[in-house]
Amino acid sequence: MGRLATGTRLGLVEFVRQPTTLAMLLVLPPVVVETYGVALESFPQLPSLGADPATAGRVTGTLFAVAFLSGLVGLFQVISARSADERMTVAGFPRATLLATRLVTMVAVTLAGGAVAFGVFARRVDVAAPALAFGVLVLAGLVYGLLGVVVGTLVPRELEGSVVLVFLADVDNALSSGLFPVDAAVPVPGAGDVAVTDLLPLYHPHELFSAAALEGELATGHLGPVAAWVLALLGIAFLAYGHSTGGGLPAPVRRWSP
Amino acid sequence: MPNIPNGSANATQSDVPPDDDAVVLRAAGIEKRYDSTLPLVGRTVEVLTGADLELRPGEVVGIVGENGSGKSTLLKVLVGALRPDAGEVRRTGTVGWCPQETLLYDRLTVRETFELFGEAYGMDDRRVRERRDHLADRLDFAGFLDYRIDHLSGGNRQKVNLAVALLHDPDVLLLDEPYTGFDWETYLAFWDLTEELVAGGTAIAVISHLVSERERFDRILELRDGTLHEQSDPSRKPRSAAHGGDGPVGGEGPGDDGSGSAEGEVGRIEGTTGGREG
Repeated sequence: MGRLATGTRLGLVEFVRQPTTLAMLLVLPPVVVETYGVALESFPQLPSLGADPATAGRVTGTLFAVAFLSGLVGLFQVISARSADERMTVAGFPRATLLATRLVTMVAVTLAGGAVAFGVFARRVDVAAPALAFGVLVLAGLVYGLLGVVVGTLVPRELEGSVVLVFLADVDNALSSGLFPVDAAVPVPGAGDVAVTDLLPLYHPHELFSAAALEGELATGHLGPVAAWVLALLGIAFLAYGHSTGGGLPAPVRRWSP
Repeated sequence: MPNIPNGSANATQSDVPPDDDAVVLRAAGIEKRYDSTLPLVGRTVEVLTGADLELRPGEVVGIVGENGSGKSTLLKVLVGALRPDAGEVRRTGTVGWCPQETLLYDRLTVRETFELFGEAYGMDDRRVRERRDHLADRLDFAGFLDYRIDHLSGGNRQKVNLAVALLHDPDVLLLDEPYTGFDWETYLAFWDLTEELVAGGTAIAVISHLVSERERFDRILELRDGTLHEQSDPSRKPRSAAHGGDGPVGGEGPGDDGSGSAEGEVGRIEGTTGGREG
C-alpha cells in the first residue's frame, strides 16, 4: 500500500502542478454542457433523443465533457511519464502498482471534472436521482480514462494520441446520443446482429445516465456492457502499458542469488 | 518481462549456475537490432551482434565507443529495460541505473523524486533521507531539494539523475555518460564517490564516448561492430595503483564538450579508437 499511496499522491501532485490542465478541468465542462444545451434547443424533437432537445443536449454534453476530459488525463498520464515510468519499473516499482497509481489519479481527476460538469448540468436540469446519475457519470469517465491509457500506450505521442482520442470521442458521442439515429447492425458471434451503437463505449453510459438523471432509474440492462468495457480496457491497458514500459513478455534475462 | 526488479528478496535462482562466484553481472552473446516498424520507412540496424561482459565486485569498467555504436542500447539490455534479440544477462544483487537522459518526473521536486524512487527500491523513509542528504552533500545539490526537476539547470538535473541511481547503494552500478554537464568540482566529487563505492565492493560500468582518464578504470572495453573488445594499454597504471584511495587525479574535464576541463597529470588519451556507426 505504501507504494500505491506514495505513487498516487505524487501523481496527483504532478497533475495539479499543471495550471493549464487545471484550468481546462474548470472551464471545459461548463462550456461544453451549455454549448450542447443551447445548440440543440432548436433541434427537431426526435424519438431517439428520449427527452426535449435542450435537455438531451445537456445530457450529451455532460457525458462528452467528462469522457473526453478523463480520456485526455489517461492519455497524458501515460505519454508524459512513459520514460520515467520505465526507469521506475527497472528500479523495482511493480508495473501493476505503477499502472494502478495512474488509474487512481485518473479516477480522482474524473471525480473532480465530473463534479464540475454535473454541477452545471444539475443547475439547468431537474435531476431525478443525483447520486446515481453522478456515479454513472464517473463510470463513463472511467471507461474513457482507460481508453485514453490504451490510446496513449499504442500511440505514444501527445499530438497524434489526442487526435485519435478526439475523433473517437466525437463520433462515439454523436452516435451514442441518438442525435443521428443509426439502424445499421453488425453480426457478433454468439449474439446475432447487434446495433452498431450498442458496441460504442459511450452508448451504455449514455443510456444509464439518461435513465438516472431524467427518470431516477438504474437501467440495469446496460450495467453489464459497461462492466465488460471497463474490464476489457483494463486488461488491454495493463498489457499495453506493460509493453510500453519495457515488459509484457518473457525475456531471456535472469538473475541468481549469490 | 525483461525488467529485473531490484531487491534481492525477489531474486530467483537461475537454472544455469554462474561459472565464477565472483561475477556479479554476466552478459553473454547479446544481440540487438532495431527493425523499421513501417515498410519502406527507415532501415534495419544491427546494433549489438554478440556482446559479452562480466563485472566483478569492486571493479570499474569503462565502455567506450563512437556515437551510435550501441553503448546505451547495451546498458538498457544489461539493466533489463530492453529485451535482447538473443543472449542472456544474469546478475546478482541490486542494480543502479543512471540513463543518459534524465528520466525523472519533471514536475516533482528533487525531494519528492527521492521519496518516490526510495519506494521503488523498497527503502524505509529514514534510510531514504540519510542517503539523499549524503548524496546531496557529496554532489552539492542540497540547496535544490525543494526545486522542481524541470526548474533545475542541466548540470543539477544530471546530479539528481546520478544520485537516484546511487540512492539504494547498489551492488552493480551501470552509468551512461554520468558526468555530462558536470562542473569540474562535481566531476571530482563523482570520482571520489566512485572510489567510496568500489571500496564497498560495488561493481561499476561507466559508459562514455570519451574516456580521458584511463587510470581511473580497471578495464576499458570498446564497443565496436556490435561486440566488446578489451583495450590494452601497457603504459597505464591499474586504477588501484593510480589512486590507492588517495582521491582523484586530474585529467580532462567532464561533459561532451569538455567544458570546465583541466589538464591532467596522468594518461590523457584523446577520443576513442575506431568503430562504426551502429
